[in-house]
Amino acid sequence: MLAYLLRRLFAAAVMLAVIILVVFSIFFLVPKWAGVDIATSFVGKQADPAAVEAVRTKLGLSDPIFIQVWHFFKGIFVGRTYAAGGDVTHCSAPCFGYSFRSEQAVWPVLTDRFPVTLGLALGAAVLWLVFGVAAGVLSALKRGSMWDRSAMVIALGGVSLPIYFTGLLSLAIFSYGLGWIDGKYVPLSQSVGGYLGGMILPWVTLAFLYAAMYARITRATMLEILGEDYIRTARAKGLKEQVVIGKHAMRSTMTPILTMLGMDLGALIGGAILTETTFSLPGLGQAVLTAIKNQDLPIILGVTLITSLAVLIANLVVDVLYAVIDPRVRLA
Amino acid sequence: MTAPLHEPTAEAAPSAAEEAAAASAGEKAVQGRSLGRIAWERLKRDKLALTGGIVVLVLVVVALLAPVITNLIGQDPDVYHEGLIDPLFSTPKGSLGGISGDHLLGVEPVNGRDIFARILYGARISLLVGFLSAIVAVVLGTVLGILAGFFGGWVDSVISRIMDGLLAFPQLLFIIALVSVMPNEMLGLSGSSVRVFVMILVIGFFGWPYIGRVVRGQTLSMREREYVEAARSLGAGQFYILFKELLPNLVAPIIVYTTMMIPTNILTEAALSFLGVGVKPPTSSWGQMLSTAIDYYDSDPMFMVVPGVAIFITVLAFNLFGDGVRDALDPKGSR
Amino acid sequence: MTTQRTSGRRKQALAAAAAVAGMLTMAACGGGNDGGGSKSGAAGFDAANNKVAQADQVKKGGTLKFVTAQDADSWDTTRGYYGFMWDFSRYYSRQLLTYKTEPGAKGAELTPDLATDTGKVSADGKTYTFTLRDGVTWEDGKAITSQDIKYGIERVWAQDVLSGGPIYLQQMLDPKGTYKGPYKDTSKDKLGLKAIDTPDAKTIVFHLPKANSDFAQVLAMVTASPVRQDKDTKSKYGLKPFSSGPYKFESYSPGKNLVLVRNTSWKASSDPVRKAYPDKITLDISTNQSDMDQRLINGDYDIDASQTGLGPQGRTIALKQHKDNLDNPVSGFIRYAVFPQSVKPFDNIECRKAVIYAADHVSLQTARGGPIAGGDIGTNMLPPSIPGGEGQKYDPYKIAGANKTGNDDLAKQALKACGQPNGFKTTIAVRNNKTQEVATATSLQAALKKVGIQADIYQYDGSQSAGIIGSPSNVAKKKLGIIIMGWGPDFPTVQGYGIPLWSSNYILQSGNNNYALIKDKTIDGLFDQYNSELDATKKTAIATEINHKVSDGAYYLPFTFERLLNWRSSRIANVYTTNAYSGYYDFVNIGLKSSK
Repeated sequence: MLAYLLRRLFAAAVMLAVIILVVFSIFFLVPKWAGVDIATSFVGKQADPAAVEAVRTKLGLSDPIFIQVWHFFKGIFVGRTYAAGGDVTHCSAPCFGYSFRSEQAVWPVLTDRFPVTLGLALGAAVLWLVFGVAAGVLSALKRGSMWDRSAMVIALGGVSLPIYFTGLLSLAIFSYGLGWIDGKYVPLSQSVGGYLGGMILPWVTLAFLYAAMYARITRATMLEILGEDYIRTARAKGLKEQVVIGKHAMRSTMTPILTMLGMDLGALIGGAILTETTFSLPGLGQAVLTAIKNQDLPIILGVTLITSLAVLIANLVVDVLYAVIDPRVRLA
Repeated sequence: MTAPLHEPTAEAAPSAAEEAAAASAGEKAVQGRSLGRIAWERLKRDKLALTGGIVVLVLVVVALLAPVITNLIGQDPDVYHEGLIDPLFSTPKGSLGGISGDHLLGVEPVNGRDIFARILYGARISLLVGFLSAIVAVVLGTVLGILAGFFGGWVDSVISRIMDGLLAFPQLLFIIALVSVMPNEMLGLSGSSVRVFVMILVIGFFGWPYIGRVVRGQTLSMREREYVEAARSLGAGQFYILFKELLPNLVAPIIVYTTMMIPTNILTEAALSFLGVGVKPPTSSWGQMLSTAIDYYDSDPMFMVVPGVAIFITVLAFNLFGDGVRDALDPKGSR
Repeated sequence: MTTQRTSGRRKQALAAAAAVAGMLTMAACGGGNDGGGSKSGAAGFDAANNKVAQADQVKKGGTLKFVTAQDADSWDTTRGYYGFMWDFSRYYSRQLLTYKTEPGAKGAELTPDLATDTGKVSADGKTYTFTLRDGVTWEDGKAITSQDIKYGIERVWAQDVLSGGPIYLQQMLDPKGTYKGPYKDTSKDKLGLKAIDTPDAKTIVFHLPKANSDFAQVLAMVTASPVRQDKDTKSKYGLKPFSSGPYKFESYSPGKNLVLVRNTSWKASSDPVRKAYPDKITLDISTNQSDMDQRLINGDYDIDASQTGLGPQGRTIALKQHKDNLDNPVSGFIRYAVFPQSVKPFDNIECRKAVIYAADHVSLQTARGGPIAGGDIGTNMLPPSIPGGEGQKYDPYKIAGANKTGNDDLAKQALKACGQPNGFKTTIAVRNNKTQEVATATSLQAALKKVGIQADIYQYDGSQSAGIIGSPSNVAKKKLGIIIMGWGPDFPTVQGYGIPLWSSNYILQSGNNNYALIKDKTIDGLFDQYNSELDATKKTAIATEINHKVSDGAYYLPFTFERLLNWRSSRIANVYTTNAYSGYYDFVNIGLKSSK
């Protein structure tokens, strides 16, 4: 088990390095193929070639990619020093660099925004798990009934519309129209009520999008499992239906659900871009979208690192949980 | 919750005649009735699934015949009708988004293009992207997922790490970067078809790890089951076990995933069009229409309703059909 | 000249207001009565457009709440280039000269700020001398000296650290680039720039190598703000600039929010311009335009800081239900398509004319948002708010007249004259993040199709404009025959608007803005003439002439003389638009009606 974990962690580290390298390559090589000089996006109008060159040097865009990647990782572990045009700044570890645009340090941006995104992802996940799985189980047990059909139709409504649409609509109805909810983000540290008021719509909209998937998968897996021999055996033994479903069937249903949960949570922690943009939540997704639009490489890298880490850890946890839930699975 | 499993529900209960027919069919081919045939027999009895299937078929036909139909009604998807637009608000004159005898579903805000014609043409792009990219993802995901789950060891490690990497990868960055290098002509395609082709590949490529991981997880828990061990002890080959024993048991989640992926893909296409990476103007797609409609959700709600309903119907039809197929293919035949 | 133009503009604005009133069934109330207003307390439609709304209701105190969909590029006075940042920065920065805090065209006139007068200019126009006012201080109470101003200006030279802002000061004071900027300055006091003398703490003298009649304009730009050397955090300065104005930074998180509070060291007696009514100024950054508009309408915020106008959704709601809270000024922007001469067949003026004639100008206007939110149909290339601009009066291609919805016959004649009687193929380049620009591209594409011109639309990432359309070699390689763009003045003169667009000296290998690659000796000559001309009336005449030359060359297809549709909450008073900042509200003197 320990060896397995170590191996996975090592693989995750390699994966991270590869992803960072790829991000660097996309950032630099793609514009090169398109014949675009990145440095020109960072100077004002009518800047002369010397100014463009100076900016290129300042941002370190002229170094080979491998050197830049090296500097990036070095910064994280031992810190690094920036010097350009007589402006010398030392950035101590963990140093993720400074934004190309606002010049603020990236690390505080990440730590400031991470809780927002984490809260969004976890809250929504709880909602979609509760409602999605419950709807799926009920649908499976009452297969073909009105309940089954209508649950599916509602759930499918959720996946048919993009979040910026359902989000805006929910704001229009509950915030602007009925005035029940303010819908403006307030940090948890400021006011619990304000936080809940600001997060409830994003949670529900996001959960609405995912619940359908979970309901469908739960239903399908549940149906599958109810036909299994051990369920028949359990029933034949005269076990109560609650126990059969709740204990035996649910356990096996968890495998695919967990798999999805791992991936979805991981991806969401990396930034629920559309949700955060729609509700103006100051999370990682909002930051990375702005950064991509602004070609702000250090922010992109910082958020990417967090995203990748979240996805990799979530998937690792899921793989370990497989073994816990289903004793037949061996970790190797 | 004590619903007995085999309680026949209204819809599932076959009529006596059908039962008799099925029974006699069963008698005639007691031996060697193929799985496909059983499935088809079952599917035929599932009215909802059939309805779903028919709707899907109709959608495909309509999409294929888009130019013919628009010609018949005399509307071109790209022609402007500014006369129908209120210049102050940029929204269509008249009620319900400018619905009239000429414009069956109204006209677009700002330019007055016929929404019906654009929906028909949009169906081509949306179905193509939604469907093909789902296929790309499902094929890749299933094959690699089964291999990883079944063989384990280094095969699993390599495939799993690739999946992790792809899942962790910032796709948006990649896609936005792609725009600036996307050529106007490629592999004999030009204009919007280049975009559509690239979109299918990109969406499919980034989509497969989702299904891949689920299939791998299922395979992992299945390869130790009794029937697999039984087959193994009977000396069955690896590939026999893979495709004859495991794959049929994986069909259920795969079908559910595929039918769920189609709407997701259509929405991804919408987001891409929204970011200016999707189809090129003046080409229409449902996603692109929906994205444009956000700006008018209150002032011209019909513009939002039409593509929204189109996507919803498509998703519903695919899911009903998919469910029917899943139930029909269920090897344990819970009916 | 200027007043004449304004009255014409006002007539147009009134006509537009009347049109709105007529089209909507609700009665137009509040118009013309600055102090009155509707039940909600709003001043009325266009009440702050070129005039002051509710000046008598302003109270000291309270919190003025801004919101924006986009953060400033930088709050560093040397680095900001966004128009709204310049407008906003008057809260925390002062310059030698600044714009008058008056509505409309008057607001674009210069007035002394830190200086005691508008400066003594030598007869040859090469030397400018200013004396500093008494009692001007930094936020820590220390006096602002002429050396601080010089240092602030020197920072423009440090483009290697402080990139992004306008560089007119550098171009006018040190065109050869002999000075290397204060961070590489070897002199002890870091004040090595030869072109500026500071004989004492109160006097500052500028020596221009070549006269430039717009130099005073450039001194009023925010780039000419003082910066104190011991407070200069170099590249990080924009995160917390050291204030010389009535407000100072309390907190700022980029992309989230900014809070300004009173600078207690600032003395009203030392500042003839700023009134500093509110106690606190907040700026929230929202990422959803629709949501932001709705919150403005609901009264959660007072003003959209970026002054880009309401989106389609908010516009409809506001026009139907809250018309009294809207102003519809003409901005300094022109939206247009431009034809690079390096891409065939646009080297031929007839082919350029063909596109201009074929375009449906009403359709393009609708794509921009219609007559209210989009603006009047553009007919030439100088914004009406700039001295010398004539508005729709000059219309060489009858864009707003006979050929309003396109003239296919004239277009085909032009095509024949160009040697392309059956039309040709070309590409329209458009930023993918601007919905209205994509809409104009699509409209143009549809109109061109009718005369046989097949245009493919090429959408590119808006953040890469400088590298994609700003690179002439890239434009030629990708054959981008039609580029869709917009432009507003850096300062309200023909030079501040047009020199980067039309002068052959400004053709750059990257970050180019002379997209049409205009190399016209007459135009270059006219700009030289303008720069050395000190007489205002003659300057205006030259501006008009330059515009005619450019418009007649058919390098551009103007879409609209842009109008803004901006929201003004019912809480605020003493509001007016100013030509100094492209028709934006003059932020610095807005106050609240209640000190709560």
